[in-house]
Amino acid sequence: MIDVIFIGLSLSSILLLIAIGLSITYGAMGVINMAHGEMVMVGAYSTVLCGIYLGLGVIFAIPVAFIVTACLGWLMERVVVRRLYGRLLDTLLATWGVAILIQQAVRLELGLSFFGIHIKGLGPGLQNVPIPDYLRGTISVFGADVSAYRTFIIFVTIVVTAVTWFLMYRTPIGTQVRAIMRNPQMAAACGINVSRVNALTFAYGSGLAGIAGVMMSGFKTVFPAMGTPMVVDGFLVVVAGGVGSLMGSIASAGLLGQINGVTASLTNDILARALVFGVVILILILKPQGLFSFKGR
Amino acid sequence: MAITRRKFIVTTSGVAAGAMAAPYFFTKSAKAADEVEVGILFSLTGGLSIIEKSLADATLMAIDEINAAGGVLGGKMIKPIVEDGASDPKTYNEKASKLVIQDRVPTVFGSYTSASRKAVLPVFEKRKNLYIYPTYYEGFECSKNVVYTGAVPNQQLSNYIPWIIKNLNKKKFFIVGSNYIYPREMAKVCKILIEQAGAEWIADEYLELGHSEWAAMVNKIKKSGCDVVLSNVVGDSVVAFYREFGNQGLTHDKLPICATVTSEIEIAAMGAEFAVGSFTSFPYFQAIDTDINKAFVERYRKYVNDSTAVTHHALESSYFEVFLWAQGLNKAGEATPAAIREGMKGQEMDAPNGHVKIEAENLHTYLTPRIAEWLPDGQGKIVDEYPAPIIPLPYVAYGETADSLFCKEGGLDTSKL
Amino acid sequence: MKRLLLNREALAYIIFFAVILSLPLFVDLFWLNRYSKYLVYGMLGIAISLSWGYAGVLNLGQGLFFGIGAYALAMSLKLASPTSLMQGSDTPVPDFMLWNAEPGALTHLCCITKASFLWIPFQAQWFGIMMGVALPVIVALIVANTIFRKRISGVFIAIIMLALVLLVRLIVIDAQPMTNGFNGLTDLGWLTFGGFEFDPYLTETFYLIAFSLIAVLLLTRFLVQTRAGLILQATRDNPDRVRYLGFDVPGYQIFFFVVSAGIAGFAGMLYVVASEFASPTFMDLTFSISMVIWAAVGGRGSLLGACIGAILINTIEAAVSETEMFVEAWRVIIGLIFVLVVLFMPRGLAGAMNGIWDYVASRRRGAADDASPAE
Repeated sequence: MIDVIFIGLSLSSILLLIAIGLSITYGAMGVINMAHGEMVMVGAYSTVLCGIYLGLGVIFAIPVAFIVTACLGWLMERVVVRRLYGRLLDTLLATWGVAILIQQAVRLELGLSFFGIHIKGLGPGLQNVPIPDYLRGTISVFGADVSAYRTFIIFVTIVVTAVTWFLMYRTPIGTQVRAIMRNPQMAAACGINVSRVNALTFAYGSGLAGIAGVMMSGFKTVFPAMGTPMVVDGFLVVVAGGVGSLMGSIASAGLLGQINGVTASLTNDILARALVFGVVILILILKPQGLFSFKGR
Repeated sequence: MAITRRKFIVTTSGVAAGAMAAPYFFTKSAKAADEVEVGILFSLTGGLSIIEKSLADATLMAIDEINAAGGVLGGKMIKPIVEDGASDPKTYNEKASKLVIQDRVPTVFGSYTSASRKAVLPVFEKRKNLYIYPTYYEGFECSKNVVYTGAVPNQQLSNYIPWIIKNLNKKKFFIVGSNYIYPREMAKVCKILIEQAGAEWIADEYLELGHSEWAAMVNKIKKSGCDVVLSNVVGDSVVAFYREFGNQGLTHDKLPICATVTSEIEIAAMGAEFAVGSFTSFPYFQAIDTDINKAFVERYRKYVNDSTAVTHHALESSYFEVFLWAQGLNKAGEATPAAIREGMKGQEMDAPNGHVKIEAENLHTYLTPRIAEWLPDGQGKIVDEYPAPIIPLPYVAYGETADSLFCKEGGLDTSKL
Repeated sequence: MKRLLLNREALAYIIFFAVILSLPLFVDLFWLNRYSKYLVYGMLGIAISLSWGYAGVLNLGQGLFFGIGAYALAMSLKLASPTSLMQGSDTPVPDFMLWNAEPGALTHLCCITKASFLWIPFQAQWFGIMMGVALPVIVALIVANTIFRKRISGVFIAIIMLALVLLVRLIVIDAQPMTNGFNGLTDLGWLTFGGFEFDPYLTETFYLIAFSLIAVLLLTRFLVQTRAGLILQATRDNPDRVRYLGFDVPGYQIFFFVVSAGIAGFAGMLYVVASEFASPTFMDLTFSISMVIWAAVGGRGSLLGACIGAILINTIEAAVSETEMFVEAWRVIIGLIFVLVVLFMPRGLAGAMNGIWDYVASRRRGAADDASPAE
């Protein structure tokens, strides 16, 4: 029984890790970032490249991936997203276009494969990330053998969520972000540099995606198209949880993860996934604004 | 105003006409009389490109070698036309139509997944063209417009299941696969063979193609009480599966994964340490210790300019099928699909995996079944090998035997099903 | 001015019709078949434009209705395929059911596999055709009723449709004994009307699709300028205002959503006629989003624009992917074009063309004013 619950917990933590960055960009800026999955993918590839060229393991890849994806996110915001504030559905499309570009960049090894140059660690192939020895195997929790790596992921998710909550609710910049969430014009009138805060928020959200990517690389296959199913899952979680609500994302990730885990253990994974889709549709129909929504804007 | 409207009409029609005429700028010039064109149809982009690109490369390498040795039909060069299936059956169908109807090639080499083969089959059958399919598949097909050079279930499973039961002493099978026809058919064949040998299968589970979240399934395997896992999982899911297996504390010495699809490529992608001690059944492994094979691997690595490239079963089939095709073409004397097909019947050669021959009745290939155990360096150690190639039986699950073939030159004998 | 606008638009329509109807004179049968498929995509562009540009409802799961329509007709055509007929029985069974059958099952549609009896009515071709439009319409009706009556709007609809199309895709792939799963329905017979078989590589088939497209285009164009259409556009811009004015907003949204779904289902059927197969990949997320991309580039606010956008993008894509240099890189180009269009040309190509016309027209008017003697 414990192992089934643990699996649900593990699935929830993975969903939350992906969704938390999305929740921030969507809630704070009203931007649907379809390139979020690609940010996760870039984080995973950063880990691969770190391993190959810097000889760093998964743990040390976390800050590297964070910085890389945060920079990429910041760049994306400045060039593309900035022009689309207020046009919600257009952000969905434009970021989807950017996602295609990022994916192709990795697949074509930043264009160098045209000239016959191959960068090891990039390209259309499957990449491999070895996980450190102390994270392999299982540990015993309440009598059940659970995967050490997954426990580590749960731990990282908790830390990331706690840090994000702290930043949002206990720091000045978090207050600014929340002010912009409620009413951007008023926030600007109060002297907040809205464009700078927006850029930083987007970068932070992308950085979180990078961290998710590092965690994913340890047990999922790393290849250029790995991001698309993740962004779908991420959005289902964020929208079901309620826009702009961290609590909502946590709740919906927990709920959907557990449903998935339990159903998969009892029947099969396909039914579990179908059920998750069904539950999301149900939530949106019964509570159109999501599980926890606040009356903002 | 009048002038403006006229200008508008003129410019719009001009643009529209230009756009419609664009294809003409992109079609190739007429082919030279001293060339034989062939189509090459694999996924060069998309999720399956990882494997399919290597198949395209092997095919092109074979073509280069034949051309370097003098070509076909007394000196004509083979000209390959490469198309991208984009890992999407719709695109496969379109490109196949283009190769057959517009480019009018006499033969196309292509496809990895059964889904893509099924999507292009109508094109080849309706237009009476020839498709050479290099990938192992689930059988139950008898098309007179396809030559199959990959393994069918009796060349992959009929040796495997009895070997597992006898040599590994395993009696309880947990069958797992990806959710589409190949794994499902293979599972059916497995169940029949398992029961025939007196063992039992405990479960028959499927996971969506491309799915990489294996926690629940591996947990199920752990708790099921099985002592061997028969894996028909395909694609990048394989990597996630083996890793999760290892991460949840399962080891191959106690609970081995016996796979039908896991090849050198997936092993390289997952990290060889996750597969040590597991098994796969293929007619070809890169580790086959013959001069022919070693030379082949060397040439392939040089061709793709990657000293760490790996070769695998479908790749080797993509390679030798071109030679068999060339032999058939030379025997036929003309580059038309029907003649080449007749010429290919009975063609044989010494391929890297051993001697191969195309069975005239069902257009499948004699191959030598092998089983390998995976080593820490990502290569297989051959632990079982048939002394000679065996006849392909695509309908073995329905009782086909060498004496009673279901798929004959005249067509499929449905009364036997 | 209004008269001029109408003329400009009618002109564009006429030119478009002329071009596609005269296509068989310029291209060979192979490209004609390709264009048939692109015309079907054009129809999908119209469906998206109707739903998104006019009703303001972004449907990320239009592939669902396309897929349902495709499968409905494909089921009928599969039962009429040469291989099925070769079985020699009065009630042929699709070949994939033979190998999915429970051992010892009766070789009859009623009981060969679970739920195979659902195939029985499809033995009549007209049933398949009818279901190809009726089924998407029914599904759309149920979905739309639930969504619009609850005043769900904007991105939530998009996400619900997205989840729905992925859900149905999953079910279709899983129900292998009934739908042949991932492989889809291949090896189909040809659509037959009064003894004439619509071989996909005949000019007649192209004309069937071309005229269908023209009919759909004219029908929707007519719909959007009826009173209902105007109210719909008002709803897109400000639903609350329309509500206060006393109109039944959900009713109009449901109607146009359902029409859009019906068009998509019809397009699905025509696609099966042109390409001879139906597959769960029709319900892939990337395909549904591609439809939105076509409509965006062509101009979501213009039915003809979205239609031309779909045709043009696919033509370019096919041409580009065949030039060897670009085989690996065509997606980058499309991605780039798409981002640029969304950023700088929100009204798409149609908007750009209109803008050019307006600019040229105003320049001419300016020149005429300068030339005329001062009053």
